[in-house]
Amino acid sequence: MNGVHDFGGMDGLGPIDYETNEPVFHAEWERRVFALTLAMGCTGAWNLDMSRHARERTPPAEYLAASYYEIWLSGLERLLDETGLLSRAELDARVAALRAAAD
Amino acid sequence: MRILLAKDTPALLRKGSTARVAAEVPAKFAPGDRVIVRNFHPHGHTRAPRYIRCKPGIIDRDHGVFAFPDAHAHGKGPCPQHVYSVRFAARDVWGDDASPRDAIYIDLWDDYLDPAG
Amino acid sequence: MGKHRHTEPPSDLVLRVKALESLLVEKGLVESAALDVLIDTYENKVGPRNGAKVVARAWSDDAYKARLLTDAGAAIAELGFTGRQGEDMLVVENTPKVHNLTVCTLCSCYPWPVLGLPPVWYKSAPYRARAVRDPRGVLREFGLELPDDVEIRVWDSTAELRYLVLPERPAGTEGLGEDDLAKLVTRDSMIGVAKASAPGRPEEARP
Repeated sequence: MNGVHDFGGMDGLGPIDYETNEPVFHAEWERRVFALTLAMGCTGAWNLDMSRHARERTPPAEYLAASYYEIWLSGLERLLDETGLLSRAELDARVAALRAAAD
Repeated sequence: MRILLAKDTPALLRKGSTARVAAEVPAKFAPGDRVIVRNFHPHGHTRAPRYIRCKPGIIDRDHGVFAFPDAHAHGKGPCPQHVYSVRFAARDVWGDDASPRDAIYIDLWDDYLDPAG
Repeated sequence: MGKHRHTEPPSDLVLRVKALESLLVEKGLVESAALDVLIDTYENKVGPRNGAKVVARAWSDDAYKARLLTDAGAAIAELGFTGRQGEDMLVVENTPKVHNLTVCTLCSCYPWPVLGLPPVWYKSAPYRARAVRDPRGVLREFGLELPDDVEIRVWDSTAELRYLVLPERPAGTEGLGEDDLAKLVTRDSMIGVAKASAPGRPEEARP
């Protein structure tokens, strides 16, 4: 797809932001998203090409503003919903429940 | 569906999962051939970046036969075909303000390429 | 009387990931212990020190280097580094006249078994956009100025081939053993945004 992810040659994206001695993961949630994505990928519910395409279909404004693992999360949620393994509605309901419990 | 278990994970990670397909598929091109990337704009998944479409290049190497993402991402099976490393002169891609010496090498599938006239 | 908060409430993102994980575990789609192995593997066990060993071996042993350039996967496997996102490897050699740089403009493809997971800058828009468009400008931003008579080759990892740059062996390293040579091989030099470190420089610590 001629999506916003296709960055080669695009202008205006700014300087390269280099972090010295950066950690592999910057937050616990990143570890979880990484592992969940790989584990679900191993189930055979989808293939790697499908998972790349799911990330690419992250809405452009979201894709450009997102950190790397936010894009992975977006792709994973999309695949789970599209394959019927976990609907967005069910996920949203659980998020709401957790938020209510935390408040 | 196969659930990933902790006990199986190290071996699975060490083995990986190649996209290479053991199939006898004829190659359309050989190293040294001049090619041009097709004018195509699929709405689905592709691994041909926009910047390389319609650009002329030279086959540098035949990597062998691999699954084709444009089909594989859409449940059409691996559709195995040759993948080539194709060399593009920087100036052919970006115009005269690019370095006259530099090059971009991109891995492209048979279906992305036409012979250059 | 209001509630006392001892900690910050979890952010929306943290809550969402917690929700996702609990649902996937409850549905029996993922096993928690497997998640821990995945994280541990890539946080602690696999990283650029692997690739540094490959490079150091190639610098020390011409026959190994020849095998590495002919069949990278097999040569890298000799050192035990195999696996996911490194199933089909290619090594590209830097010389005084050719400098190689690797990128994945479309996402973040990277040779995990030899370099671990990619750094944020490699996966981010500015590098992905500019590495193919202006490699000399990118290298300059990394502090590396290459003369005009050096050819830069940018490798865009669009397929499942994964690329490792074999940096040039620095001057003044004759007689160094493989372990000491490996210390000079930075992650950045194996991506191609830097040269390997000179011996005796304190910034060897940079991955």
